Amino acid sequence: MAKTILIVDDSASLRQVVSIALKGAGYDVIEANDGKDALTKLNGTKIHLIISDVNMPNMDGITLVKEIKQLANYKFTPIIMLTTEAEESKKQAGQAAGAKAWVVKPFKPDQMLMAVSKLVLP
Amino acid sequence: MNLDQALETFFAEARELLQAMEDALLASDDADSAEDNVNAIFRAAHTIKGSAGLFGLDGIVAFTHVLESVLDRVRAGELGLDADLTSLLLSCRDQLCALVELAAQGIAEPDVATATAGADLVQRLSGYLGGESVPVKATAQVAQPAARSDQVHWHVSVRFGRDTLRNGMDPVSFVRYLATLGELVHVETIATGLPEAAAMDPETCYLGFEIGLRTAVTRERIEDVFVFVKDDCDLRVLGPGNTADDYVQLIRSMPDEDTRLGEILVSCGSLSRESLDLALEQQSVAPKGMAHPLGEILVQRGTVEPKVVEAGLEKQRQTRERRTQEGQSVRVDATKLDQLIDLVGELVIAGSSVGMIGQKAGISELNEAVSTLARLVEGVRDRALQLRMVQIGGTFNRFKRVVHDVSRELGKDIDLLISGEDTELDKTVVEQINDPLTHLVRNSIDHGIESAAERATRGKPAKGTVRLNAYHDSGNIVIEVSDDGGGLKRERILAKAVERGLIAPEQTLSDSEVYDLIFEPGFSTAAAVTNLSGRGVGLDVVKRNVAALRGSIEVNSDEGKGTSFKVHLPLTLAIIDGFLVRIADSTFVVPLDMVDECLEMERGLPPTGRDYLNVRGQVLPFVRLRDVFGVAGGSQLRQSIVVVKQAGKRFGLVVDTLLGEAQTVIKPLGKMFQGLKGISGSTILGDGKVALILDIPALVERVEHGETATLGKKDRLVA
Repeated sequence: MAKTILIVDDSASLRQVVSIALKGAGYDVIEANDGKDALTKLNGTKIHLIISDVNMPNMDGITLVKEIKQLANYKFTPIIMLTTEAEESKKQAGQAAGAKAWVVKPFKPDQMLMAVSKLVLP
Repeated sequence: MNLDQALETFFAEARELLQAMEDALLASDDADSAEDNVNAIFRAAHTIKGSAGLFGLDGIVAFTHVLESVLDRVRAGELGLDADLTSLLLSCRDQLCALVELAAQGIAEPDVATATAGADLVQRLSGYLGGESVPVKATAQVAQPAARSDQVHWHVSVRFGRDTLRNGMDPVSFVRYLATLGELVHVETIATGLPEAAAMDPETCYLGFEIGLRTAVTRERIEDVFVFVKDDCDLRVLGPGNTADDYVQLIRSMPDEDTRLGEILVSCGSLSRESLDLALEQQSVAPKGMAHPLGEILVQRGTVEPKVVEAGLEKQRQTRERRTQEGQSVRVDATKLDQLIDLVGELVIAGSSVGMIGQKAGISELNEAVSTLARLVEGVRDRALQLRMVQIGGTFNRFKRVVHDVSRELGKDIDLLISGEDTELDKTVVEQINDPLTHLVRNSIDHGIESAAERATRGKPAKGTVRLNAYHDSGNIVIEVSDDGGGLKRERILAKAVERGLIAPEQTLSDSEVYDLIFEPGFSTAAAVTNLSGRGVGLDVVKRNVAALRGSIEVNSDEGKGTSFKVHLPLTLAIIDGFLVRIADSTFVVPLDMVDECLEMERGLPPTGRDYLNVRGQVLPFVRLRDVFGVAGGSQLRQSIVVVKQAGKRFGLVVDTLLGEAQTVIKPLGKMFQGLKGISGSTILGDGKVALILDIPALVERVEHGETATLGKKDRLVA
C-alpha cells in the first residue's frame, strides 16, 4: 500500500505541484489548507509523513506541530517544515516543536521528493 | 508531470494574494489591525515566492525574496510601516502583478521596462535592509548526474540520537534512502547501546549502523542523507580520501564489543571481507607454530596500514579489559555462600523465637514490629537462597555428549531434545543430580529406544528421541527424562520379579506398582548385558540418590510408545516449610509440601497389628511414629494422623499433637547419625529445642515392607 502524505499549505498551487510530484513518485497525498484543516484531516487516517508550511492563516505551522506532538497516533509521524531563508528563527522554533526535517522555500519538486524519500520511501 | 493545471491555479492564487496584499497595504494606517495587515502582506509575498519557485519562475522568486526580507523586518518590528515604505511596497506589489501577468502569457523574460522598474525597486528595497545584501541562495541543489565510472567504497558510521524516534524519524528509512544512492555492501546494526529489557524505553532510539556503501556520489551527498538528524547523531563518513588516521579515530570511537581484529577492521571498512578471508587463509595454511598473527599478515600484504592495525589491536585489548572488569557476575566462594545461608537460617530461627515471645507477652506493638521483621527476614532468606540457584541448562547440555557417545556405541540414531533449561535449582541439587540423570539417560538410550529395524516395523521414525525437560511444579522442580522407545514391558517385569522373589506369583499389582519394581535392587530386565547398563548398578541407585536429595522418582510408561521418568526435587536443600507434630515430649517436622491432610482420631486407633484405616472408602495405611522411634510416655488418648503423599501414594503418620506450620532450617545430622532410617535431618525450633525432620520416602518404604517393628536399639534415637 502506498504511503500517505499530508501536505499543509495555504497555497493551492503549491499543494497541487507537490501533490503531482509525490503522486508521480508513488505516494498517496492528502491536502489541507491550514493547521486547523490539517487536524481535522488527520482524524484517524494513517499518515506516514506531514509536510507543513509555517505561515498559514487560522493555525500556523508551529502550532500545528505542537498539536500533532500531543496526538498519541501521530506523535511519531515525521514532519517536514517548509521554511524560508529569511526565517531562520521559525525553522528553529519548528525544530524545537518537533519538526526536525525541513525544506527551504522556494524549492523544486525534485528537492521535495529527495527530502521526503529520506524519511519515507514510497 | 503535467503542471499546466497547477500553473493556472498559481496565477489565480497569485492574483488573489496580490489583491489581498493591496487591500492590506491600503489599510495599513489602521492601527487596530496593523499586525494582521502586516502578516497578510508578508504571507502573500511568502506564498507567491514559494509557489513560484516550484514552477521555476525565478524572476518572481528573486524579486519576492528581497520583498519578503524587508517584510520580515517589518513584521519583526525592526521597521515601521510608514507612508514611504507603504508606497514602495505598493509599487512592488504592482511590479509583482506585472511579472505574474507576463508569466501567465508565457513570457519568461520580462521586457526592458519591467526589468528596469524591477531593478530600481530592488535597489530601493535594499535600502531598508540595513545595507546587507540578500542574495537569493541558489536553489539548484538538485542531484547532478554522477559519473558512473568511479564507484568507490565509502564507510558510513552512524549512531542515532536518543530522540530520533520521538522526532518522527525512522533510522531505517535513512539506510533505505542511502541504498538509492548506490549499493549497500554491508550493513551492521550496532545495538550495543541497548539496555536491559526492563530499562528499555520503546520510544528511545538506541541504534547505530556501520554501513559499507559503494557509490559514485560525493561525500556531501552522503552526509546530506542524514541532514535531518545530523544535530543529534554521530555521523562519520569515511571514503577513499580518508587517511589511516581517520580509520584509527573511528576504531577508537567504536562501541566495546568482543570482536576479533579482523572483524574490527572489516566493520570499520578499512579492510574488505574478501581481503580478510584471503589473509585468514594464508594464516591457516601456514605450518603450525609458524603462523603469523593476522595483523602482521595484513600489513605484509599491504592490505592495511600498520597504524590502523595497531588501533584495531588496541581496541581489542581495551574491550577485553573492560569485559573482565564489568563481568556480569561475581564469583563467590561457595563456603562463604553457605555461611551466609547458615546465618540467614539462624536469623529465621531467632525471628520466630522473638515472635513467640511477643505472642506470649501480648504486646501488640511488638507483634506488629515482629511481623514486619518477619517479612523482611523472609525476603532476605529468599534472596539468599536465590544466590545458590543455578540454571539446569549447563547440566542438560552435558548430555548432548553423553547421548552422542552412547548412541554411537550402540549404533542407534538418537536425537536429544532439551527444554526448560532455564529452570533454576539449588547448586547442590544440580551437582548431585548429574549422576542419576546420566543413568536415566543411558537407560533410555540402552533399554528404551529400540533398534532401527524394530522401530521401522512399529512405524516409528528411524531416529529415536530422548527428551530432557525441567519445570516448576508447586514448589518442586520436576526433571523429566523421556524417550519414544518401546516402553516398559509389564509381563517381563512381573516374570523377573517373581523369578527374583520380589513378589509372589499370584500377587496382583497395579501398573505403577509394577513399574516401581524396576527400582528394586539388582533388578534388570535387559536380555543382554551391555557395556552400559545391566551390570548390577541399577535404577535402585538412582532412586537412592534422588531420595538423598529429598526427592522422589516416578515412572510412566506406554508400551510401544515410550517411557518417562519424572524426578521430583525440592527447590532448595537449606530451608523447608515444615509441619510440626509432637509425640510425647519430642517434636518432629514433616515437610509441608508432602502433607495432604490431617485427621483427628476421636474413636482411637485400630489395635496394633492392624495398621490401616478406612478414610472415605479408601484404605489408608499408617505408621505409628511412637513405635517407630520408640518414644515413651505422653498421653495417647487423642491422637491425630498426618496424611502425607509420596509418589502418588497416601499414607498416615500417627502423632500425639499437631503443632502447625513453621519454617525450618535444615541442619544436617552428624556423621554418627547419618545411617539412620526415617530421619533426614534436624532443625532448631524457636524455643531452642531440637526437632527431627522426618524422611517421608524412607517411612513409606517401611510401611510398604511391613516393617512395623521399632528401630533396632542401636538405631534408636532418644530425642
